[in-house]
Amino acid sequence: MRTADELIRIYIQDLKAALRGADKATIQDALADAEEHLRTALENAGADAGAEAETSAVQAIINEYGEAEEIAQAYKNWEVSLPPALASTPAARRVAATANGDNPAAKKYPGFFGVFADPKAWGGLVFMLISLVTGVLYFTWAVTGLSISLGLMILIFGVPIAIIFLLSFRGIAFLEGRLVEALLGERMPRRASFTDSSLSWKERLKILLTGKATWLSIIYMILMLPLGIIYFTVMVTLLAVSISFTATPIGAIVMMVKDIPFDIFSSGDIVWTLSDPAGFMLTLLIAALGFLIGTCTMHIARWVGKVHGKFAKALLVSD
Amino acid sequence: MVELQETHKKFQKELSSGTVSLALLSILAQSKEPLYGYQIGKLVGAGDDEGVMVKQGAIYPVLRSLEGQGLLSSEREMSDSGPPRKYYQATETGQEALETWSQIWTETKTFVDNVLEGDYQ
Repeated sequence: MRTADELIRIYIQDLKAALRGADKATIQDALADAEEHLRTALENAGADAGAEAETSAVQAIINEYGEAEEIAQAYKNWEVSLPPALASTPAARRVAATANGDNPAAKKYPGFFGVFADPKAWGGLVFMLISLVTGVLYFTWAVTGLSISLGLMILIFGVPIAIIFLLSFRGIAFLEGRLVEALLGERMPRRASFTDSSLSWKERLKILLTGKATWLSIIYMILMLPLGIIYFTVMVTLLAVSISFTATPIGAIVMMVKDIPFDIFSSGDIVWTLSDPAGFMLTLLIAALGFLIGTCTMHIARWVGKVHGKFAKALLVSD
Repeated sequence: MVELQETHKKFQKELSSGTVSLALLSILAQSKEPLYGYQIGKLVGAGDDEGVMVKQGAIYPVLRSLEGQGLLSSEREMSDSGPPRKYYQATETGQEALETWSQIWTETKTFVDNVLEGDYQ
């Protein structure tokens, strides 16, 4: 005779198997939904009933909840129509609508300069700029946590401190997931990953220590420092170059008004100057180049955002 | 016979995909306080097995879809025992949508009723 807990766990396993191929985050949400429902239902079914009554109650509850196959199908169906979290603005919702295949013609990438209208490019840009700060925070926290935990491990109170740090890493991984979904549009779990409440604290601890998710989160947090530095540096450099290039005509106008000659080259006695119109034309060319660089920057931000989204998903979302 | 059963099932599924959204939105719009999945499931699934439009497990993806469209909002709260619960509530957009949806429902119902009774022209 199987216990109620075992039955629930078997059902969750079935659901997971039936959901194979669906989006990882959807799977995690679906399993959390099922777990929440079945356990709540079991609780309400009456705590006073004996083990045998409980088992039959669970069977009835699972029956009411629906077969794993059927429920998995329901999630897969709705996933298709689910707009990403980014879709909170009307413009983003239009993009989401087209991405969902409502308009196959618009599904194609909106041209080279259309990137400025793409919320994902802007999201990637913001993400790359703030990743220096988040990267430093994650790295510091991960390294501090690991070294304090390891250092105090020989003492009895080192163990609870290590556990608190490991739990905090899971929490940070969840928060980073929300950030990644909001800015990069990559679907991430909307609930913190579930821990089975029926397990003893020893078993939970084992999951925390041996679970891939914990250690992958730490790797992610550590990698975020170098990545954050690279993202930030590349973005600031590209933005500075493109904005200053684009703004050169303004400088040219100021120079013309103040009657300063256009020195394009000066070294000792050798000074090459340009006439005002030629100088101004040159700055227009530079401005065009700056705008081109700016557009490329947006493409880079969009691309990095996409790749980083996949990377974050691989490390932060547990199977 | 088995194939016919499948056809019935398919028909019910197609029919329920919109009506379940309407029913859930309506339940949450009428409720004075936020409800969590299990409570909603009880309200929807009350009655004998024959009358159940939708399996309780199938309402969760619908809730999430409605939330994704901004018609519902949700909040996670810890429960005394067991996993944290997600409480759902209708947003203002949801309340507005419900009015339109009820209207569409009434029109659809009248139309189908009329056709079934042979009362159409």
